[in-house]
Amino acid sequence: MESGKNQKFIKPPIKVLLAKPAIDGHDRGIFVLARAFRDAGMEVIYAGLLPTPEEVVDTAVNEDVDVIALSLLNGAHMTAFKKVMDILKKRGINDIAVVGGGIIPDEDKPKLEKMGVTGNFGPGTRLDVIIDHVTKRALEVRELRKNEYK
Amino acid sequence: MNINDIVNGILAGDKRMIARSISLIENDESAREAIIERIYSHGSAKIIGITGPPGVGKSTIIGNLAPMLAKTGKVSILAVDPASPFSGGSILGNRIRMQEALSRYNIYMRSTSNRLYEGGLSEYSWDIIKVMEASGSDYIIVETVGSGQSDLDIMNIADITCVILAPGLGDEIQAVKSGLMEIGNIFIVNKMDREDSYMAIKDIRETLNMSNKADIPVIGLNSLTLENYDRFVKYINDWEYQNKYRRNERKIKQIIMEKIYRIYSEYINNIDSADIENENPYYAAEKIMKNVAGQKFGYLEK
Amino acid sequence: MQNSFYEEKVSQIQKSFKIDEKYERWKNSTLADWNKKTGYREKNYTNSSDFKIKELYTRGDLPENLDEVLGMPGEYPYTRGVYPNMYRGKLWTMRMFSGFGTPEDTNKRLKYLISNGETGLSIAFDMPTLYGYDCDNPRAEGEVGKCGVNVSSLADMERIFDGIDLSKISTSMTINAPAAILTAMYFVLAQKKGVNLDRISGTVQADILKEYIAQKEWMYPPEAHIRLIRDMLVYSTENVPKWNYISVSGYHIREAGSSAVQELAFTLADGFYYIDTGIDAGLDVDKFAPRMSFFFNSSINFFEEIAKFRAARRIWATVLKEKYGAKNPRSMQLKFHTQTSGYTLTWQQPLNNIVRTTIEAMAAVLGGTQSLHTNSYDEAWALPTDEAVKVALRTQQIIAEESGIADVIDPLGGSYYVERLTSEMEEAVYKYLDEIEKMGGILNAVKKGYIQKEIAETSYRKQLRIENMDDIVVGVNKYVEEDEKPINILKIDEIAEKNQVKRLKELKTKRNNEMVSRSLDRLRDAMQDEKVNLMPYIMDCVRNYATIEEISNVGREIFGEWKEPKIY
Repeated sequence: MESGKNQKFIKPPIKVLLAKPAIDGHDRGIFVLARAFRDAGMEVIYAGLLPTPEEVVDTAVNEDVDVIALSLLNGAHMTAFKKVMDILKKRGINDIAVVGGGIIPDEDKPKLEKMGVTGNFGPGTRLDVIIDHVTKRALEVRELRKNEYK
Repeated sequence: MNINDIVNGILAGDKRMIARSISLIENDESAREAIIERIYSHGSAKIIGITGPPGVGKSTIIGNLAPMLAKTGKVSILAVDPASPFSGGSILGNRIRMQEALSRYNIYMRSTSNRLYEGGLSEYSWDIIKVMEASGSDYIIVETVGSGQSDLDIMNIADITCVILAPGLGDEIQAVKSGLMEIGNIFIVNKMDREDSYMAIKDIRETLNMSNKADIPVIGLNSLTLENYDRFVKYINDWEYQNKYRRNERKIKQIIMEKIYRIYSEYINNIDSADIENENPYYAAEKIMKNVAGQKFGYLEK
Repeated sequence: MQNSFYEEKVSQIQKSFKIDEKYERWKNSTLADWNKKTGYREKNYTNSSDFKIKELYTRGDLPENLDEVLGMPGEYPYTRGVYPNMYRGKLWTMRMFSGFGTPEDTNKRLKYLISNGETGLSIAFDMPTLYGYDCDNPRAEGEVGKCGVNVSSLADMERIFDGIDLSKISTSMTINAPAAILTAMYFVLAQKKGVNLDRISGTVQADILKEYIAQKEWMYPPEAHIRLIRDMLVYSTENVPKWNYISVSGYHIREAGSSAVQELAFTLADGFYYIDTGIDAGLDVDKFAPRMSFFFNSSINFFEEIAKFRAARRIWATVLKEKYGAKNPRSMQLKFHTQTSGYTLTWQQPLNNIVRTTIEAMAAVLGGTQSLHTNSYDEAWALPTDEAVKVALRTQQIIAEESGIADVIDPLGGSYYVERLTSEMEEAVYKYLDEIEKMGGILNAVKKGYIQKEIAETSYRKQLRIENMDDIVVGVNKYVEEDEKPINILKIDEIAEKNQVKRLKELKTKRNNEMVSRSLDRLRDAMQDEKVNLMPYIMDCVRNYATIEEISNVGREIFGEWKEPKIY
């Protein structure tokens, strides 16, 4: 399947922030994801290189995204992902989903899940698997938001 | 959180509430009308439009300009990017060059997809700008799609429209073709470090002079050394800003067109072909329209 | 309008191709009939460079001027190799990239490699070092020693090279944005160990253009980094004759997702830009060009890679001679280091990676590389274990000493397929070079994001090809196993970060801080004058144990920082 083809796109488009919240310049994967998400009908914000965890959260809030997708290939995920989660928590934000990816050892995955970072996809994961997961998480937080307005 | 909280949040300048209200405006018609109803008279901002062909450095210029304006007032930024015609999705990449300025100067910025709406802005740009204005912004910088063609909506929404061009891309010619020469209140040639930029300034100057626009300035900017930015800022600050309701005109037209379209499309979809089978299409269309007008707007044929 | 230099080259190559009637006859009769009878595999046969691959190559595919474009080994245009005797003279240098954790960890690994017969050292640095941050910067948290060794000051370099004789080894350092600082550290280290600068040899990567293109590790705007490269170039040309002040790198451009032809074209464009930089600094091209070296990727499409290496030599020689007027043969000889592709390594069924690395290493050797790093099979999981590194090194030794591959110079020379691919690669590269020149040169193309966008598009198309099964990756989209068993991986001790931070703190109290700030002030003054060579000033700071971040910050203050262009 070509990503984005023959799929029913969610309306309004899912908004995703793609970010590498540490000093890590390996952006091949994140560019591929940006295009794949776009072709799956999503609106993608790319945070640029080397944002601090604070900047990631600021951007997510200002752009009102459904999902923050974090990626790191430099082994710093346990520290950097945690920082993002801590800031979200501190600001009382629970209606933005956070998904992760990169070179993440199996033993770290349950720890990340517990923090609230889901997915944690490794190299070679099919794009449609990632897209499905992001969609699922986005719909979850949208449900939360809907209830809030009532 | 309800509409009340959101409106209060906007008026208090709470970024999270501003952000959430913009999503509601983009996605939910009844929330949109309710929010605008409550905020539309609040605030008064100078709307600065930034337009021009792709790759001329619009984002870089905004990244430099915003902190300078932030010295004399609160700044917000709205950047519009194109949607993919295949999926409707989009990549909104305008923040990259501005990130640092945003956090340092407490600037609210929103990236938005045009969702295939034509004219260089998004369908609800007016509404988003309204929210930014009500939140206490003194300056709102609006970056258009920059597709190089027909980004003309900006002139109806901005108080001052800045057309950005760069040397060596044949922009001058493209600008004339796409009507950008008609809408600019100021012309900027970016990338003054390039040798051919003086030629570009000269070409633009001559083109403007030929269309009796000798009073419109052409400024060269160097985004590395910030050369000439002071002139640009001064021009923006000295600009004679008009009544903020002036830009409502476009919005009112848009709302009317939309409502008419929606009503008629309902009828178009329900036309029973048996009724009109043998009729002259011009006559049939006229009849249906009169019919709708009669039912919906109390229009009576004399 | 007159053709540009590169347009002229393209048309020369196109003129050398002709139609082979024998092949056409065979294809339309014998082959077509057979295919009808027996069926055939339906597949779009292309390589990464998007060349259409025929089922058969014949004499007709050879360029008409084959002898001329091929030359002999050690002779212009060096298609068959830069040395007359190639591996019969000396095998390639088996240079394994290593570095992790604390300087002591790396020191131990280097000594282990030396005792296993490695002939050149290659140091990897961690992310904070690569970006010019000290280990105690808040942004460095969790990254110290993770992807390489951490170096915050000269003291760390002293530990890395403890007990290693700098006059007996050659050292390659993979460092770019802060290259001038690390180079200064190495020079000062040699001086402190009593080794004269004319006796040390090695290479520093320093190629900043490919950072903006691919690896994205920079500190300042491009112009400032280019100046630092100029200063290293001039300083080492005058004082450190055996030092390769730059290694123009396609490796990262390829890893970022480009095709073989894009890797080669963009890398050569970068190389020519540095040549221009040296000439602009007033040097004679034949004085500094010989010390320039290259660093390429060797990926999985065997023949495409071999053709790429051969084309690289031919283009470099031709352009240096004809466009830059070089007279010294050494200026025209493109010498390169190769690393097998990290991108082709799979996380799934990791032992398969040994085979991939072997194929890629063979391509590099058949392409005539001067040195080679083979990746370890576990690198899609983590930094490699000692055991995995040993297998990777043994892979090279088997190719070198068992297989017979190294016995003959350019064994594939004259192959219909390889010669044709080499010429097509050359043609496609010239087309790119022409396009880049018309955009106002590589620096402009990079600042506009054009090159980055080309690469991102290629890499996305590649990913879609894998997802659509147009390209097969064994274990990933075919022959998949449900249960992936975890392998043994290298764990970086978290204690490394704490130790480094503690040491840095101690250093800052022990050193002469008065001297540090005075040397930093002198560097600041020197930076303001574009004409001044900064190397002696940086060496002075380093000698006083100023840290990498302190030195980098002076530059950040004077030159400013840099944000990437929008790439979409």
